[in-house]
Amino acid sequence: MHGQSWAVRVGTVFVLLGLGGAALAGPALNNLVIGATQEPDQLNIWEGAADTKENILALLFLGLTYFDVDGNLLPGLATEVPTFANGRLRVYYDAAGNFLRQEVDWTLRDDAYWSDGTPITTADVVFTFEVQNHPLIPVTFRTFSNKIAEIIVHDAKNFTIVYKEPNPFYANPSGRIGLARFYDLAPKHVWEPIFLEAEAQPEKAAEIITAKFLGADPATGRDPAKVVGSGPFKFVEWRKNQYLRVVRRPDFFLKPPGPEENYIQEVIVRFIIHEPTLLAALFAGELDATDDIALSGYDPAVLAAQAGEMFKVEAVPSGFIEMLNFNHFGHERYGEEGCALARDLLLHDVRTRQAIIMAIDREALAEAVFPGAIVTNSFVVRGDVGYNPDLYPWPYDPERAKALLAELGWKDSDGNGILDRITPDGRKVEFRLPHVTTPAPFRIRTQELLMEYLAEVGIKLEPTNLPAAVLFSTEFINRGSICSWPGIIEYAAGGGIGEVPADEISGELWADDPTTPEPLDNVPRRANGFAGSNVGGWVHEEYDRLHFAALNEFDLEKRAAIIREMQVIFNRELPFIPLYERVGIIMYKVGLANYVFAPIARTPFWNAWMWGWVERGAVRVY
Amino acid sequence: MLSFLVRRLLLVIPTLFLISVVIYALLALKPGDPLDELRFGNPGFTHADYERLVKLYGLDKPWYVRYWYWLGRAVRGDFGPSRRYGLPAAEFIFRQRLPNTLLLSGLALVVAFGVAVPAGVLCALRRHSFVDYTVTTLNFLGISVPVFWLGIMLIYLFSVRLGWLPAGSLGTPGLAAQGLGAYLWDRVRHLILPVVTLSSIQMATWTRFMRSSMLEVIHDEYIRTARAKGLPERTIVLKHALRNAVLPIITLVALAVPGVFSGAVLTETVFNWPGMGRAIYDAILANDFNVAMVALMFISLLILVFNILADVAYALVDPRIRYD
Repeated sequence: MHGQSWAVRVGTVFVLLGLGGAALAGPALNNLVIGATQEPDQLNIWEGAADTKENILALLFLGLTYFDVDGNLLPGLATEVPTFANGRLRVYYDAAGNFLRQEVDWTLRDDAYWSDGTPITTADVVFTFEVQNHPLIPVTFRTFSNKIAEIIVHDAKNFTIVYKEPNPFYANPSGRIGLARFYDLAPKHVWEPIFLEAEAQPEKAAEIITAKFLGADPATGRDPAKVVGSGPFKFVEWRKNQYLRVVRRPDFFLKPPGPEENYIQEVIVRFIIHEPTLLAALFAGELDATDDIALSGYDPAVLAAQAGEMFKVEAVPSGFIEMLNFNHFGHERYGEEGCALARDLLLHDVRTRQAIIMAIDREALAEAVFPGAIVTNSFVVRGDVGYNPDLYPWPYDPERAKALLAELGWKDSDGNGILDRITPDGRKVEFRLPHVTTPAPFRIRTQELLMEYLAEVGIKLEPTNLPAAVLFSTEFINRGSICSWPGIIEYAAGGGIGEVPADEISGELWADDPTTPEPLDNVPRRANGFAGSNVGGWVHEEYDRLHFAALNEFDLEKRAAIIREMQVIFNRELPFIPLYERVGIIMYKVGLANYVFAPIARTPFWNAWMWGWVERGAVRVY
Repeated sequence: MLSFLVRRLLLVIPTLFLISVVIYALLALKPGDPLDELRFGNPGFTHADYERLVKLYGLDKPWYVRYWYWLGRAVRGDFGPSRRYGLPAAEFIFRQRLPNTLLLSGLALVVAFGVAVPAGVLCALRRHSFVDYTVTTLNFLGISVPVFWLGIMLIYLFSVRLGWLPAGSLGTPGLAAQGLGAYLWDRVRHLILPVVTLSSIQMATWTRFMRSSMLEVIHDEYIRTARAKGLPERTIVLKHALRNAVLPIITLVALAVPGVFSGAVLTETVFNWPGMGRAIYDAILANDFNVAMVALMFISLLILVFNILADVAYALVDPRIRYD
């Protein structure tokens, strides 16, 4: 009896604790609380953005154009998207067909205002370009702005961008790709004083720029009034490592159907780095939705079963392809400076790579390590205009793999289960294949499965794990030529969706610009200070030619055809083994309308002005 | 004593200097730099961009040159900006992270001590009773159950299943606008589960120590004498036995104090608590050198100072120890 009353008292205390603080989420307050496992470092628009930052910036900024859910390129701050057809895009060539210049006319909307009420004008455009190219400002990418010859201002709303190099992606707003984007415009009246202060002290550039520019109030949110954007929501506060809060802008020119007050008035993005905690907060009703990154790797079916009637669970294309990149530095083109172990393992020989892909049951592996993932044979994701569906599928066929390896001289001469061969210089080497990747649980599971598959054909996989900060450091991944990773390195690359279809196209992950005098300048080696993005060192002349033809092709269909041709070479040569297309997951309460993932924009944040609760009168458009 | 103190304090300076050199060198020499994250997160980031930024941030200079720049500023109290957050590193650590850590770890320490002492005394006084066995079982669970697992289980039970307490974080977004009372109450609710989780190991360990210590003391002759003199049991336990039995526990608590400042990575991660532990861990992984430096130097300083304080305390408590 005494024990019972004690238990009841404790229970009562907890119930009272609970009643004393209900979560502030959902339709009752007409707000939306979204859970995210990553948090932006700061909100400056000058630095390259990871996906979470892109999501947040999509609440605060809208560019000249944006992609809708169907991949249509629509005008944002601009009145229309420049095209050849409407005369706003012009490309000039000389009589010999050589490129002369490209001109793109833009007009800003009359009703486009910054979130502090200041009109958005061509002065902001020119200022953004000036900062973008200023030597002291640590803007991440200049791939796009470096192509600009000048910006001609006609009046407060009209301007023309003149390019000195062809830029078929002149209107693409995809920030992550970065190739084409004219970055989100910066409000001149906010940033100019900071810019001038940083510019005035060039001798202390690094310190001042970090503290005064990247750490400026518009980027950190310390002074909310300084965070001025062009997007559908206005910044309110950012409690670091906790949440960021924005409110609807009544003066934003894109409107949802029906009365605006029926739609979400406040968005809170809560940063919860630990996925199980985020899930707990979701199921406890503290969150209304998750972003597209938070639950990546979870099994959508399991989540759906847990979610019951309360949440919708959608698997969405992440745009990323998980891959096994090979060390190609055993190739004779690298001579003595190459990686001896990779040479011993014959990784530069296409038959070795073909044998390895056939030794792996990729269907079973994808199912086991990344539920919902789709096995792929391309570097471009499905659904992309440039995706080639007719590639050879490289089915699981260990017998063919063994035959190919035997053809290369591999045999198990000592019966220990590991293949060996005698090298031309008389050494006996065993096929012990190093595999390095990050310690993410799904990658560790991948290593376990790869060990089993490859053991079946006589290859001994030797797995290692390194923190991402080490794996992706220039001291490691860029030094395959000196055997920092002599076998396979596993990571994911963007397979892209849209006009610029892959990290490969914009980042040249295994291509090299054939127009530059040095043929291997994109391959990190001792000779070039380990610079370049082609970390595996695969080189193919025809592939390179096609790669750069695609980059300069204005016609989307023709460009897609070139990229499909590139995939045929890729599929045959296998510079890396594409394992599977990863999927992202979004979860949201069933009453939430228009929270829909746009594959090309790679975010569910592309139309935040249309988010709303059905029970509050929001119209479900998507 | 005074000369000892002066000598020890003067030794702190070269010790800190050496520590700073070692930490800076280790951070600088580990693979990776602050730009790697930008480089691999953004396919359009060219090597030319990388080289431009390396030069701009001074990362092209050898580590010892950068160290001297850092030291020159640090002695003036300027620890540089956080590369990730844009804020001054010291502001990030001391204003944003340290208060959260002190609140969580400090409370956990107080709760652990507050529960362990009476529980240990109770077990000792009722040795081999049901209470003793129950507390002992709970102690073994507390010692052996991993903190992160306990945290997740508590969240599952009290947040997901029962809905009584929040799943993590410092507080409910936007609640500050609803008044101070609501805000404070919300903060208390958010503290309960992480404090219980974090205090569990210390609570269990200290209870065991307290029990053993008390068992030793209550069989001493002076306790028997006190009983023989007819003193009430309450006075014997609280005034004579407890005072002596608690001394070893106080030593353990003192040793745990520096840990209060350095945070608890696992508990902070599970409960989304932005404290020092995660700040240091994240800063090292993200190559945010200035943040890592200021945090690690602060902890080093604390350890040195608490070592001196411990030596001083020994001398004050134990008359056999002299430093002259």
